[in-house]
Amino acid sequence: MPPPASRLWPVAMMALALAVAGCGGPPPQFALNIEGRRPQSVSPKQREAVEKALRKLFGTPDEPEVAEETHLRAELLAMAAGPVGGDAEGNQRGLFRRHCVTCHGISGDGAGPTAAVLDPYPRDFRLGLFKYTSTRGGAKPVRRDLRRTLLRGLPGTAMPSFAQLRSGEIEALIEYVKYLSLRGQTEFYLVELVVDGDEPLPLTMEFVVRDGLTPLARSWAAPEENAAEWVVVPPPRPSVATPESLAESVALGRALYAAKPSQCVKCHGPDGSGQGEETELYDDANKRKKGVTPEQTAEIAPRFRLPIQRLRPRDFRQGVFHGGAAPEDLYLRITLGIKGTPMPGAGAAPGVRAVLSPEETWHLVSFIRALGAGAEASPSP
Amino acid sequence: MTSRRKLTRRLLRQAAAAAGAAAWALAAPAIVSAAEPAWGDLVGRLLYDGKPPERQKLKVDKDVECCGKFDVRDESLMVGPQRGLANVFLYVRTRNLSIHPALAEAASKQVTLDNKDCIFVPHCMTLWVGRQEYYLLNRDPVAQNIAFSPLGDLPANIILAPAPGNNVDAVYKFSRAQMVPVPVACNYHPWESAFVLPRDNPYATVSGLDGSFRIAKLPVGKVEVQAWQERAGYLEAPGWVKGRFEVTIEPGTTDLGTIKIAPAKLEKK
Repeated sequence: MPPPASRLWPVAMMALALAVAGCGGPPPQFALNIEGRRPQSVSPKQREAVEKALRKLFGTPDEPEVAEETHLRAELLAMAAGPVGGDAEGNQRGLFRRHCVTCHGISGDGAGPTAAVLDPYPRDFRLGLFKYTSTRGGAKPVRRDLRRTLLRGLPGTAMPSFAQLRSGEIEALIEYVKYLSLRGQTEFYLVELVVDGDEPLPLTMEFVVRDGLTPLARSWAAPEENAAEWVVVPPPRPSVATPESLAESVALGRALYAAKPSQCVKCHGPDGSGQGEETELYDDANKRKKGVTPEQTAEIAPRFRLPIQRLRPRDFRQGVFHGGAAPEDLYLRITLGIKGTPMPGAGAAPGVRAVLSPEETWHLVSFIRALGAGAEASPSP
Repeated sequence: MTSRRKLTRRLLRQAAAAAGAAAWALAAPAIVSAAEPAWGDLVGRLLYDGKPPERQKLKVDKDVECCGKFDVRDESLMVGPQRGLANVFLYVRTRNLSIHPALAEAASKQVTLDNKDCIFVPHCMTLWVGRQEYYLLNRDPVAQNIAFSPLGDLPANIILAPAPGNNVDAVYKFSRAQMVPVPVACNYHPWESAFVLPRDNPYATVSGLDGSFRIAKLPVGKVEVQAWQERAGYLEAPGWVKGRFEVTIEPGTTDLGTIKIAPAKLEKK
């Protein structure tokens, strides 16, 4: 188990575990996200102002608020929020705490009690970044993407399938993940505004909503409202029904893999093992924990809940893919990239020309799947 | 209908249209007629108050056949031959400023980040959100990547295929202004770096190699200016708190003169 980042870690874990288990203690609260900052750099007044604004816009873990601009559905949030079990009227509550909190934490920070032993860490929803999506560029996921992750899990990670839940419960959890993400990004915005920007207090909520929350809410709505521009549906795959057609597709993919425009080799290595030239890779959540020198990184470490964690480019030979190993899944990963990581998309996006055509992408998919089945990365002599 | 009634109706319609236009004009953003308020430029010169250190050579260990031949050096502290401090962002923090109409007309539709000789060019730039697009260009014979994550805006992670041959470009539209410059990186070539500052007005600039800067056509009156430099973050100078200072813009030119920046404030962290 990696060493805890803070000496208070065991205490915090126990407190959280008790809070989560509900040992008759006070209801859990959202902790202010000032990760990466020195705690002394945030004054009590600033802390109070940000927490107050967040409570007004988003409520508490037991009683979520729905700001009108977010278009979140209160009845779904009510099912997911709150303590585990039903309420006095017999309505379902506490789905998030029952199924998600141990990994994702009460605020969706990806630092729940079990997170420290997991590689990769659970998702930190507060960054507003989701890796396995069907949306182009930097767009937010559509509901279908979050549903897919909940129903299928992420093979090769600790995220299991929740297909055993009823569809209503799945929809409630999707809504709550959106809620935590919107809340988390608004929190980043508020902390920057108040602490870095020295925004005069008390805050003008109308400005905060207009400048901070509304653009975030719009970014969630955009891919839902304009699927043509933002959502990729993999086109039909050229037939690989015969051994010859499959071999041809694999060969074309092999050539593309090594080719200059794709640059796959740089990270994934000439043999597809994930051991390429680029060795110091981090996702956006962990990049913040890195200083220029190892001493600096060590100095920054106590300001984060979890130690810095490297990203390993996928080893294609294993045939395990977090976003799914089906051809359509791999097509989406190559076309869109993986948001919040160095993996870029080779497909078109608003303002961006494709580097690989759909046919080329399918050939690359054939090659990568073949690697998982034991094929050779280099062309046979 | 009598012709008199027709005339009255027409006059009423025109009056309504004029009232509507006036209402729209009042509600429209702050670009005002040049005639009413007065305008002035803010100028100054930043001086590195010491002997500048030699720029470190950066490790070029990827695409070496192409990039290895260039003398790639650290750009995090750029001091000109007369000790001018370059690449300092200076931008106005005051909100709801009137914007001179000539600035809107003069603003280019795009500001370009180029990839040339395995570095980003220019290292620092500003951008007017809503009026200017971020135009990304690759003129190197290797594939380039442009990655940045502006707070509260869409992240970008864009591949530009190798040039020459195709016109290899891409466009990114910022949706919001940022409080501090956004770092831009290349996932393929880790030594590359640039900064872009999207603001919701044109009152932002980057100091040149002679240390000089000009924010043109500001509305006369008090404005608060923020100074930011890559190594220092908020740049400290005499009288500046968190890199900020207030200045009263006069008609014509308001000259802050030479501002000395202590080398200690620009040490490599």
